[in-house]
Amino acid sequence: MSGSSTAKRDFPDILAGGVMIGLGALGLWAGRDLQFGSAAMMGAGFLPDVICGMLIAIGAYVLIKALGKAYEPFDESNFKPLIILVVAIAGFAFMSETLGFIVSTIWLLVIGSLADQESRWREIAISTVLLTIFGALVFIYGLGVQMPILPF
Amino acid sequence: MAFLDVLMLGFSEAFTPTNLFFCFLGALLGTLIGVLPGIGPTATVAILLPVTFFLPPLGALIMLAGIFYGAQYGGSTTAILVNLPGEASAVVTAIDGYQMARKGRAGAALAIAALGSFFAGTVATIGLAVAGPTLSSFALSFGPAEYVSLCIFGLLAATILAHGSVIKAIGMVCLGLVLGMVGIDVNSGSTRLTFGSTELYDGIDFVVIAVGLFGVAEIASNLEFKEARGVLQSTIGRLWPTRQEFKESWGAVLRGTGVGTILGVLPGGGATLSAFSAYSVEKKISKTPEKFGHGAIAGVAGPEAANNAGAQSSFIPLLTLGIPSNSIMAMMLGAMTIHGITPGPSVIQNQPELFWGLVASMWIGNAMLLVINLPLIGVWVRLLKVPYRLLYPAILLFCCIGVYSVNNRGFDVALVILFGVLGYVLRKAKCEAGPLLLGFVLGPLLETNLRRALLLSQGDPLVFVERPISAVLLLITAGMLLTLILPAIRKGRKEAFEASED
Repeated sequence: MSGSSTAKRDFPDILAGGVMIGLGALGLWAGRDLQFGSAAMMGAGFLPDVICGMLIAIGAYVLIKALGKAYEPFDESNFKPLIILVVAIAGFAFMSETLGFIVSTIWLLVIGSLADQESRWREIAISTVLLTIFGALVFIYGLGVQMPILPF
Repeated sequence: MAFLDVLMLGFSEAFTPTNLFFCFLGALLGTLIGVLPGIGPTATVAILLPVTFFLPPLGALIMLAGIFYGAQYGGSTTAILVNLPGEASAVVTAIDGYQMARKGRAGAALAIAALGSFFAGTVATIGLAVAGPTLSSFALSFGPAEYVSLCIFGLLAATILAHGSVIKAIGMVCLGLVLGMVGIDVNSGSTRLTFGSTELYDGIDFVVIAVGLFGVAEIASNLEFKEARGVLQSTIGRLWPTRQEFKESWGAVLRGTGVGTILGVLPGGGATLSAFSAYSVEKKISKTPEKFGHGAIAGVAGPEAANNAGAQSSFIPLLTLGIPSNSIMAMMLGAMTIHGITPGPSVIQNQPELFWGLVASMWIGNAMLLVINLPLIGVWVRLLKVPYRLLYPAILLFCCIGVYSVNNRGFDVALVILFGVLGYVLRKAKCEAGPLLLGFVLGPLLETNLRRALLLSQGDPLVFVERPISAVLLLITAGMLLTLILPAIRKGRKEAFEASED
């Protein structure tokens, strides 16, 4: 790691500090109306505020230190699988209660399977059918999970 | 003798057909995920947590425990045969185990690993049986101040012994504590940090966080790049070790068992730390340290015994004090809470069949694992060829339907997305999610006792140093933090972890 001024900065640590500060601030904001109280009679907001404050302080420390640390890049990333998984799970979350197990599971498995770059349509079709039947038998009939099977 | 009576009680509980079945199922599942790279015990326990809701309490705990220690057996199989550790705790086993396999001694390495693990498991289980009642009767005298100090000690010690940056780990603990406060505050009845969502009034479910951080985030990062595949050493060779190999390994097994049993009890300890420490112990005291890295059997025997002993003994703090020492123990705590059991010193007193049944089942499970692993090794090797792309859709389905079943609502599944993304971002930021989970499960305990202690002392913080047990715990915690600031020790810790990463 030689030379220019950009060859500093620990990027994972900058991200870590940023996440901590952001979430700590979010917590403080969400709990802004809570009663703080005193040490002897703690209100509902006492600990959330104190811990969020600590979180922000730690985040700031990590962030500032990271600016002076030796250069460290992010690990190589590929966001595509994560995005596909999010879409797949979101579909399942919103459809499960109304459209039922079969529809939401097929959505989850078909979309979710696309997250792997080596996926093949034939395999996806077979595994989706098998897993849907298996899931319906084990979870809905066997364990009695409260979810409709079909939309109607 | 009272000890024999409770042990008998334990075995009579563990030997019922259902519990034997759950024990076997746990051990089998544990071996399976131990063999399969890309899915670890933490994620598996997280995914199966909701399913255990449908099981009897003891059966559920027996199965989850079996998954954890079973994974330690299975992880070594792939480490030795394909140089691909199935679990983090088997990373060191791969160093010398794979070299042995290349020399055609894979069979001996596997046998020593399994026998060493069985011996270590037996010793650590006895340790649990002996230490359990003693520690818990001690802990029954704990008041709120002691519990606060114990929580702080547990949380901070866990961050110091864990991998990676301590300050970031402490930040993760704080984040976990905040997440644990979401919902209605029991003292005042006001809603906290719910963003106006009625679905969050009961707080965030443990399963949601565990599945998001460990299940979904893990799948997402496993899929980022093409699967790494090790090269299988085709011949396993004779299973039974030679007399020379026995001679070289029994000492290592004994030492590994000792190291693992002790380190497993410590917060943040457990299987992985035990294995790494045992390896460096063996290397240090060996007369032929140059053989390490080139197929020294002591380098397989020591860590393998240690990781199994550590896996068993990490149950001690959870079952006696109610303080989980690592993320898997946090999940065991979650499983107990699902069944309305509050882990802690009162469990041994009020539900002896639960504690002793679990202890007895661990020994039975270890014996089962010996059978599952050694004669059936060929089956597991073949399983290695199952590609991840066929595996993860099933994991995904288990995640989603499992989370849904906790409250029978899609909202929790949507929440999983949030934690999945958070888990992924934390991985990129090189933050461990384990401390977050510990903070989340210990948060309510910490807050209740902190409020109680300060209410009793009328806001005087000196109460924590006036009570002797609490003062000692805080002193140890302060000592640990101090050592981190001293540069010499910090350097030593860094070197230890860097060496362990090689």
